[in-house]
Amino acid sequence: MRRLGALLWLALVLLASGYLALRLHDGLGFRTDLLALLPREEQDPVLQRANDAVTKALGRRVLALVGHADRETARRAATTLGDALLATGQVERIGEGIDVDRLKRLGALYFPHRQSLLSDGDRALLTAGKGEEVATRALSQAFGFAGLVDAGLLRTDPFLLLPSFLTNLPFPLSRLTPDEGMLSVTENGTTWVLVSAVLAGEPFELDLQDRLVGAFDAAVRDMPGVTVKRLGAVFFAHAGSKTAITEASTLGTLSLVGTMLLVGLAFRRPGPLLHNLLALGVGMTVGLSGSLLLFGELHVAALLFGSSLIGVAVDYSLHYSASLFDPLSGSPSDRLRHVLPGIALGLVTTLIGYAALMLAPFPGLRQIAAFSIIGLVGAFLTVVLWLPSLDRARRLTHGALMLRAATGLWSFWEARRWRGVRLVLVLGCVLAGAVGLARLSADDDVRRLQAVSVELRHEQDEIQRLIGATTAAQFLLVQAADDEAALRRQEDLAATLTGLKAKGSIAGYQMPAAFVPSARTQRENRALVATALDAPLLAAQRASLGLPPAEPNSKAPEEVLTLGDALAADSVPFLRELVLGPGLHVVALQGLSDPDAVRAAVAGTAGVRLVDPTADFSALLAKYRHRALLLTGLAGLLMLPVLMWRYGWRGGLWALLPPGAALILAPAVVGLMGQDFTFFHAMALVLILSIGVDYAVFCAESGVEQQPVTMLAVWLATLTTLLSFGMLAFSAVPAVHSFGVTMLVGISIAFLFAPLAARGTRHNEATNNARLL
Amino acid sequence: MTRIVVFLLALLAAVPVLVAETLAAETLSEGQVLRGAFVQERFLKGFQAPLKSEGRFALVPGRGLIWRTETPFAVTTVMSPAGLVQEVKGNETMRLPAARLPFMSKLYTMLGGALTGDWKALEDMFAVERGGGADAWTLHLTPRRADDPTMPIRAIDVRGGRFVDEVDIVKPDGDRDRLTFRDQLLKAEPPTADEAALLASAGRP
Repeated sequence: MRRLGALLWLALVLLASGYLALRLHDGLGFRTDLLALLPREEQDPVLQRANDAVTKALGRRVLALVGHADRETARRAATTLGDALLATGQVERIGEGIDVDRLKRLGALYFPHRQSLLSDGDRALLTAGKGEEVATRALSQAFGFAGLVDAGLLRTDPFLLLPSFLTNLPFPLSRLTPDEGMLSVTENGTTWVLVSAVLAGEPFELDLQDRLVGAFDAAVRDMPGVTVKRLGAVFFAHAGSKTAITEASTLGTLSLVGTMLLVGLAFRRPGPLLHNLLALGVGMTVGLSGSLLLFGELHVAALLFGSSLIGVAVDYSLHYSASLFDPLSGSPSDRLRHVLPGIALGLVTTLIGYAALMLAPFPGLRQIAAFSIIGLVGAFLTVVLWLPSLDRARRLTHGALMLRAATGLWSFWEARRWRGVRLVLVLGCVLAGAVGLARLSADDDVRRLQAVSVELRHEQDEIQRLIGATTAAQFLLVQAADDEAALRRQEDLAATLTGLKAKGSIAGYQMPAAFVPSARTQRENRALVATALDAPLLAAQRASLGLPPAEPNSKAPEEVLTLGDALAADSVPFLRELVLGPGLHVVALQGLSDPDAVRAAVAGTAGVRLVDPTADFSALLAKYRHRALLLTGLAGLLMLPVLMWRYGWRGGLWALLPPGAALILAPAVVGLMGQDFTFFHAMALVLILSIGVDYAVFCAESGVEQQPVTMLAVWLATLTTLLSFGMLAFSAVPAVHSFGVTMLVGISIAFLFAPLAARGTRHNEATNNARLL
Repeated sequence: MTRIVVFLLALLAAVPVLVAETLAAETLSEGQVLRGAFVQERFLKGFQAPLKSEGRFALVPGRGLIWRTETPFAVTTVMSPAGLVQEVKGNETMRLPAARLPFMSKLYTMLGGALTGDWKALEDMFAVERGGGADAWTLHLTPRRADDPTMPIRAIDVRGGRFVDEVDIVKPDGDRDRLTFRDQLLKAEPPTADEAALLASAGRP
């Protein structure tokens, strides 16, 4: 029976290895964005779509400022950098898209509608009856020094309304000025030239990151004396994934080497070492190939957390191998029968913990959970089906000292002479728990969870200072029945936004209505031009300019410029990014310094709201922090019937006491350390519960005579867990660090209290009988 | 558009030196003021007559240029290293700070260089052909990068004697501006209080 199972398991493992080899051969696609780990809640599909579109457009932008004291050198370097980026093939286009050709198309789009398009200033002048001023300005441009307008325009637009409209279009990047086809700014003798690019793919694709950032760095290296400052999600993502991948390999290697060293030192035989390696290797292989099969791709974080699985997967084989120290141990099959209830119960409770992770709709965490569940089941099956057949090891006799030392913890909880110390310890824990929990505060700001390169942040600030203001991640979403209604909404909103600009809450804004006014406004403008300019002043203006009197049919056509026309012509820069769909428009905000003021100002306006993707994510994290805590409680509740079935109701409660204490004390220690409690701290609690319950179960299952052996196994299991999960505390990624710190503290506490789990079972007939089996 | 303005300012200052190399034109230096009258005619396609304006100018080396159009109506344009300002009846109709014109600082380098006899910067951008004699010389300037679509000038012709007498600017679309100068007077004196105030006004941010 076991032989058949072992063979079947072998076939399955070989299949999994083959699949993994195939996938590795094809090259694995890793995802690296932290946000992919987070749940997508489709509460409001429209909002979600707007959010995605805007975040995507912003995420694909790359800005760099190339600076040198010599204007020509700076310009040459900017061209070289742009060419280098373009040569990677990862860039859709270089430049703001404001080239001469585009400006010509822009003119061609607007020209037929010149009498319907007025700048805000001109509209105000005409409304106030100051048409004279508009006329005089046109004349001063025509007659003034070195004449600023060309003949064709003056003939067809004698009041020069169109140039006024064009120069007042709200293009962003306010401090930059076009200089022979390049946007630049001069400060303290240094000319900064802008190089901007739009990525062809997502900034979180590893391959794209490597190629683009590699080309960027190489180009910058070849420009001695030129200062280059960079800004873009791709640079942050590249730095972040570099950290994550380096950590995954160093921390993974450290925990593997540490675990093997520990096992080797404890058993001093190659057999147990090889058994543990085998269980571990099989666990990792089936875990990796299983999750690749399920998800098609793997998140870097799943890999990082998954590599920590080493510490848990090895628990079962350790427990099996530790029975070699048992003076009463018999054949390998006997030894397996001895540890089987413990490791089976340990597996079931751990799986309950991971299954709770699966309940939360987090794409990334589901991967971690799936990876862990498959890996743990794999390690368990390897222990149960393979190890007894492979085992040729004799009983170990060298461990007397080690066993005595290991039992020390058990005696600490049992011996009379430690009673005083125990009391102090428990009271200390209660006090620390109370103080720590009281001091604990939550922080869900998503920005604090990502490792952000200080250098990149500094360059970003510099760029923002130099070019004035950059587009904020926050934006206003305007929703209406159709485009015309949405445009009108924006025009009604303009006064509010101008007020916010005057207060300094924003530096500027772009809305579709500024590029294509609503049909209502275009008709009003037309009427205004006819009554306030043409009727009283046109004849005189043409005469002053030496133009023949206007022909009656020389009027521009009646039809209005529509948003559809403007989009089809693709001549207005940025417009495509602002129009998400019919009646769904974005108002981009520049230099947003006070989101609350903006939110308050638009609060009363129907169909307009401030969307703040970062704040939304933070709110989501807060929600899921609560849910993680609920899941932990739920997992505990689900474990309780299993434990009570085995140990009786009292024994079940005792078995849950050690992990329970860890669950309360770990967050308390986080509070005492002055850290804020985040979603990632909360997720660690789920694992502390499932791993801590393992230790409790191992202890509860142990007969008095096996206590030293059990304690040795629990010692080893704890140390390996600390070597893996505890290592994560040294991660530079705040989210991973938070997780690791919590694990470090929680697992230590669960271990420290583990012997208490046996208290409820000592006098329990059912368990004593069960142990005899 | 503003580039033409800045360019002309530089040109006006540079030309005397440019020709002084071989010809007899006067050289300007700091502490002097050149004043005179001008006629500006703009020949535009489709217009019955050229747009003609007349007025007076004052060029103060190192400080800037004041261009006062008097007919057909009063417009004052002031250019200084800090920027450009245009006024109609005391109301500002245009203001362009130099910080928004990186090109302007370059042209000021050109201007400064030209005033001290170094006109390499100008020759970098334009091919210069000299002609005529000491009392009646001509210059023909063509842009070195004629294919650049942002280049607003096709050619410039300058004619002069002691000072610049006439400048003809041809634009790519065939429009033409002609500036004629007369009654020019070079004085070694500081600008008047009125002129100084105007030059200072262009420096405000």
